[in-house]
Amino acid sequence: MKPRQRPKRLNLALHAALLPLAITALLAYVGSVIWSIRISFSSSKLLPRNDWVGLAQFERLFETDRWIVSLQHLGILAVVYVIGVLVLGTLMAVFIDQQVRGESWFRTIFLYPYAMSFVVTGLVWQWLFNPNLGLQNAFRQMGWESFSFDWTVHPETVIYAVGLAMVWQGSGTTMAILLAALRGVDEEQWKAARLDGVSKPRYYFSLVLPQLGPAYATAFMLLAVALVRTFDVVAVMTGGGPGDASEVPAKFIIDHLFGRNNIGLASAASVVMLITVFTVLTPLLYWRSKVQSRKQAGH
Amino acid sequence: MKFHSKTLLALVVAGFGAAAVHAQNAEVIHWWTSGGEAAAVKEFAAAYNKAGGKWVDNPIAGGGGAQARTVTINRTMGGDAPTAAQFNYGKQYEEAINEGLLSNLDDVAAKGNWDKLLPEKIKASIKIKGHYYAVPVNLHNENWVWFNKAVLAKAGVAKDPTTLDEMFAAMDKVKASGVQPLAFGGQGWQEGITFRSVLLATGGKDLYMKTFKDKDASGPQFRKAVESFKKLKDYVDAGSPGRDWNLATAMVIEGKAGFQFMGDWAKGEFVSANKTAGKEFGCFMAGGPKMPYAIGGDVFVFPKNDKPGAAAAQKKLAELMISPAMQVAFNNKKGSIPIRTDVDLSGVDICAAAGVQAIKENRLLESDNELISPDAKGAFEDAVSKFWNSSQSVDDAVKAMASALKR
Amino acid sequence: MNATTQTSVPARRPKRTLLTPARIGIYAFLLSVSAFFLLPLYVMVVTSLKTAPEVRQAMLFAWPANPQFSNWAEAWSSACIALQCNGIQGGFWNSVRIVIPATALSVFLGALNGYALSFWRSKWGDILFGIMMLGAFVPFQVMIYPLVAWFRLGGFYNTYWSILIVHCIFGMPLMTLLFRNYYVAVPQELFKAARIDGGGFWRIFLQLMLPMATPMLIVATILQLTGIWNDYLFGLIFAGQDNYPMTVQLNNLVGSTFGERRYHIDMAATILTSIVPLAVYFFSGRWFVRGIAAGAVKG
Repeated sequence: MKPRQRPKRLNLALHAALLPLAITALLAYVGSVIWSIRISFSSSKLLPRNDWVGLAQFERLFETDRWIVSLQHLGILAVVYVIGVLVLGTLMAVFIDQQVRGESWFRTIFLYPYAMSFVVTGLVWQWLFNPNLGLQNAFRQMGWESFSFDWTVHPETVIYAVGLAMVWQGSGTTMAILLAALRGVDEEQWKAARLDGVSKPRYYFSLVLPQLGPAYATAFMLLAVALVRTFDVVAVMTGGGPGDASEVPAKFIIDHLFGRNNIGLASAASVVMLITVFTVLTPLLYWRSKVQSRKQAGH
Repeated sequence: MKFHSKTLLALVVAGFGAAAVHAQNAEVIHWWTSGGEAAAVKEFAAAYNKAGGKWVDNPIAGGGGAQARTVTINRTMGGDAPTAAQFNYGKQYEEAINEGLLSNLDDVAAKGNWDKLLPEKIKASIKIKGHYYAVPVNLHNENWVWFNKAVLAKAGVAKDPTTLDEMFAAMDKVKASGVQPLAFGGQGWQEGITFRSVLLATGGKDLYMKTFKDKDASGPQFRKAVESFKKLKDYVDAGSPGRDWNLATAMVIEGKAGFQFMGDWAKGEFVSANKTAGKEFGCFMAGGPKMPYAIGGDVFVFPKNDKPGAAAAQKKLAELMISPAMQVAFNNKKGSIPIRTDVDLSGVDICAAAGVQAIKENRLLESDNELISPDAKGAFEDAVSKFWNSSQSVDDAVKAMASALKR
Repeated sequence: MNATTQTSVPARRPKRTLLTPARIGIYAFLLSVSAFFLLPLYVMVVTSLKTAPEVRQAMLFAWPANPQFSNWAEAWSSACIALQCNGIQGGFWNSVRIVIPATALSVFLGALNGYALSFWRSKWGDILFGIMMLGAFVPFQVMIYPLVAWFRLGGFYNTYWSILIVHCIFGMPLMTLLFRNYYVAVPQELFKAARIDGGGFWRIFLQLMLPMATPMLIVATILQLTGIWNDYLFGLIFAGQDNYPMTVQLNNLVGSTFGERRYHIDMAATILTSIVPLAVYFFSGRWFVRGIAAGAVKG
């Protein structure tokens, strides 16, 4: 209903209803972003300061090894985690869709990691990867001498260990989204395809999955948000180490906010993260809203 | 209406009583959550309650205190400051003082004669611009080495090592005997402690001060320390990255490793496992018997507080924490050393005795915590950790550490 | 794909199928993935039932010689956290007191926002929504300082209300997104009919659109319940000591840096803390999938 057609009473009700949204979006989100930007141009350490140091914090930021590698690691995780979850989630959803017995058990098993906080599951993953305590030791003791599963102690592989733990935690919800979408696909399609002699795998991968575009889009959005926020798993599982081999931007920011008493640098890092994310996302959201308003043109 | 003087008196007394009850509530933020630490804090709480107050405990674990300190700052800025909050000696609270967020303790200090009582270096840490802002409660030192005597004996190490060079020789023997020489926890702060211990062992007080006070990492001695530090890597096992410090101590306790670089809080682990200093395990200061004793440990600060009776509670707390009886009781449970020199220190074991000796001989030293900002310290430890965990050259490492110091 | 598939999709009854190699392959895949998912939980449960010396021996996968359920009792009611030796039970009721109203409020606001944004076109509404979606990517640690400042101005910092408001603020982007996507798929004719019947803004919402969104209400409630239950940082900074949730207690038990670590008690405490979200996922997993089917998968 177009705004001009609305009587005043309704307009008032609408605006009253949107007040929490407005307050949250403007005071909390926009306010924090503006504050961060302001602080990133100051020399604030433990407490906010009102001075102006130009781009000094940003210069220092990009001279800091730990920050640069954290961005690289985020890129690696973007591939490992996002693609890993989408692939595993797809496989799990497709297989569960095959009318298996005990579907609710499988579903629960795949979903429960998301219900647990990484604060201690991260510690368990650290133990699992430990060469003396974890899987490597267990398999070797059982006789498989050359089994190797100590990714967390080598700087080159630790980030992949983190990725694996993240895939463990996140695949369930993506599976749920995809499974729900699969359930919305007409059974008739499979009957028709079978008559045409299409094999089940081909049926899924060529016919069904392409129809799940919106579901994948939703899953991707949720994964992207989780990716950018990655902190707990790194803090608990590896502490960012060995050295800085598994550092991620969110942890860099928090370390400087809380432990190192340098909110100026942390704010500069946050601003860089925001710019990066906005640059990637804004075209995506714009495209999606265009698609949606085309759909709603029928409304 | 007749004024019942008795009623009036009762009201007045009740009013004073209420104010008095309020006056004694003290909310204290700290990060002593585990068993041994909690036993120590209990001493303070019990004594404060006995003196008529009410200790409201607010423990916040995590990050070596970083979370507790964050909550303290946020609450102070949010207008709901605690009565007292734990910090470490050093620059952590410098800014809070400069922004006028902390109450000063000058009258408590005058009454307790802190000027005369406290060792010079400790005073320097809590007396900023002529005013006292924190009450020190203990003395910890991070530059200790612990070892399992049985492991050393089996390896044929004749004499307990007392210096780093002797330790390297002993570690070679332990390695030859088939036991892991050095138990190590690959976390940034542990790598930092180990490096600083090696620094002290290499160049003593002069090198330490040159590095952290003058922020000067040039020179051959610093380089030598960096090289010695990396040499330690040969004695460390593959599973060390990320290992918690107490698991490394457990390796020494169980005889699965020979040595560990760790602060004096490691002693608590040995004691928990019923081991005695000098019998099953030994200890020495990394920098040698005459090592300068870098100050570590805890203080309490008192954020400015509008709540009724808060100021009185703060003064009472401060007096209590530094009193002789409390210093002995608290530090006995905590395993650290009292900051007063006028208390009975005869009951301490041989490891703590070395610390007491250091105070007596005025060998206290400002630690890096007091000389560089938390930010610079973090950047420095990043550089140390990167060097330890990668194949970075010594020159690049020295350069990185030098620039970190200048933050 | 017509948009009227709002009703829950019937779960297909598993037909009696032959045990072909394909079926075996399906079950093999699902079972091995299940093993991967269950591994950390197994380690946690097993560790929580060991004695301290057994834990020190660090045989990760070994079943305890004598399962000590007393560890769980100790974690719940007698484990010492600093001066208190009451375990983590105190935090349980605080968590309940926080989670239930916060979930209800944030879900309600999300539904209200979604309803207002999709049926009552408003330029400002869309802009605010866009701002908030981008705001979802702001590292929330960065928002702490500004929020503390705002709350201090409002005079309610560190009270029960401040933690409620904080959870609403941080839940709003996801909640609004979910409900907006859901309502977008509802045919406009329904809304127009209700308007013609004389319904106003609130009446249409409370009597028609809110009940209609039941599948999404369930999904949103599940997500918020587990997310808010597992929150640690906001509870620590905004709730005030009297309202510390269970996660703060857990962290105090598990996270001490310089003291001794009792891993068996830590694991027991973690499992106890996770029981509520785990139970929620266990009992409502089916509704979760159905709810997502009804909402999140559309564009």
